Amino acid sequence: MPVTKIIPLSTALGWVQDDQTVALGGMTLYRRPVGFVRALLQQKTRPQNLTLLTFTAGLESDMLVGTGVVTCTRTCYFGLEIFGLAPMFTAAASNGQINIIEESEFSLAAGLRAKMGGVGFMPGRAWLGTEMLTIRPDVKTMTDPYTGETVVAFPAIGCDVAVIHVLKADKQGNAILGGNPTIDVELSLVAQTVILTAEEVVDKLPSPIDLPGLTVSGVVHLPQGAWPTSCYPLYPLDGEEILRYIAACHAGELETYIKDG
Amino acid sequence: MSDFTIDELICTCISRQIVDGELVAQGIATPLVAAGYLLAKLTHAPNLSFVSAIGQALSDTFAPIGIATIEELWLGQGLMSFGFVHGACDFLPRFGPKEFFRPGQVDRYGNFNNLFMGGSYTRPRLRLPGSGGIADVTVFEDKVYLYVPRHGRHTFVEQLDIRSGLGHHPARTTGHGPRYLVSDLGQFDFAPESGRMRLLSLHPGVTLERVQAKTGFPLIIPSPIPPTPEPTAEELHYLRQVIDPLGVRTLELLGGAARKNKLLEILQKEH
Repeated sequence: MPVTKIIPLSTALGWVQDDQTVALGGMTLYRRPVGFVRALLQQKTRPQNLTLLTFTAGLESDMLVGTGVVTCTRTCYFGLEIFGLAPMFTAAASNGQINIIEESEFSLAAGLRAKMGGVGFMPGRAWLGTEMLTIRPDVKTMTDPYTGETVVAFPAIGCDVAVIHVLKADKQGNAILGGNPTIDVELSLVAQTVILTAEEVVDKLPSPIDLPGLTVSGVVHLPQGAWPTSCYPLYPLDGEEILRYIAACHAGELETYIKDG
Repeated sequence: MSDFTIDELICTCISRQIVDGELVAQGIATPLVAAGYLLAKLTHAPNLSFVSAIGQALSDTFAPIGIATIEELWLGQGLMSFGFVHGACDFLPRFGPKEFFRPGQVDRYGNFNNLFMGGSYTRPRLRLPGSGGIADVTVFEDKVYLYVPRHGRHTFVEQLDIRSGLGHHPARTTGHGPRYLVSDLGQFDFAPESGRMRLLSLHPGVTLERVQAKTGFPLIIPSPIPPTPEPTAEELHYLRQVIDPLGVRTLELLGGAARKNKLLEILQKEH
């Protein structure tokens, strides 16, 4: 008897708990789980004190910071690309109101690889000679036991929950990502709980798939779930809406924007 | 200045730094660079290939630049996508692409900063988006190039607030500091022995006094100072008619309301 992983949105929202590290899939303004984040923030009781893990953080991440739900960020870029700075993050960071775990592309990539491999760190050459190590005193250097060279031991990175928006998913949690893989498969392998929101849900996807359902916890049918970010090739990013979001933030109306959608 | 604009001159300068047959990397929100790469592809570097942040894809074909349609360029026509983890750990270090970065601050040795400006790290005057892959590839890559769309003392600083991109610095053990920098005032490189920034050429209508006044440290000045070669009619045709008819590249030189209006104009034309 096949088990279905399809669940209502309300069930998935309940899996995000206070003090967790929550990872978001996609990239900056592309295939982001905006619909899920908006629903999370529209609840009567919001989760508190979340740490955000994402490769490049964009609009929905900015909402999470602006509402105070996320108090710590872990990413290598937080902005709205050609649309400019992320207004709520920039203000919070400039006022010292948020804890930033500074990352780079390699430190995130190596940290995920370490976690997937079940080891505490992954060495690399990145950061050597820069001042990244001074703002990340938890990251250690070490001597390569074979060559004697100094390398950086990038610590393993995991998360409690990963939320990934996909084009299609099936009952087993297999999914299609649409050609912009980002770090979504890796997130699905390091997260304790994996939530997919999907434009379309089918009984069974034909091969090949992009993301295996073996570690997926639940699939939520959420059409337009990436809007106003893109879901290539189904829909492009909605630039006017992104500008409307920025204007709402600058006017001090973030909560109204979230409530009214 | 004759019948071209500064964005077109910067794109042309970027294009002329590209060698046929090489691989270039394209970061996010850098349309001046994308336009420059594509200009090279259409003129002197037909065998150019690209790796892009969007899609983390390898590509060897061409599409016009857009905003809402940006993924067409990289996802619609990519040869393959490898994802960020595979890209950052394996493909990019092995491929060693040439890449143009836009520093938030840069010092005379080509060290740079994309984390914050002013104040302290925990209480900055302005927090910037972050270092992306800059703190990684500037440590070990050989082909790091820089561009600054709006040359000023806030960018060309005597002292960085923090060094997140490695330049010509004694702590370097691998790779090479930046090779070249283009701004809206001129072209620059770094002297081989000292690693200090050196003026290569002045853009049309720009004086040496103006460049030095807008730079927070002394530049090495050649004598005589050559002018920056102007774009050709063919280059201007490709930029305006083929590569970027919407003018996405101009966004990098605009701020405030002018930038927002230009964004809206481009988005409406894309519908």
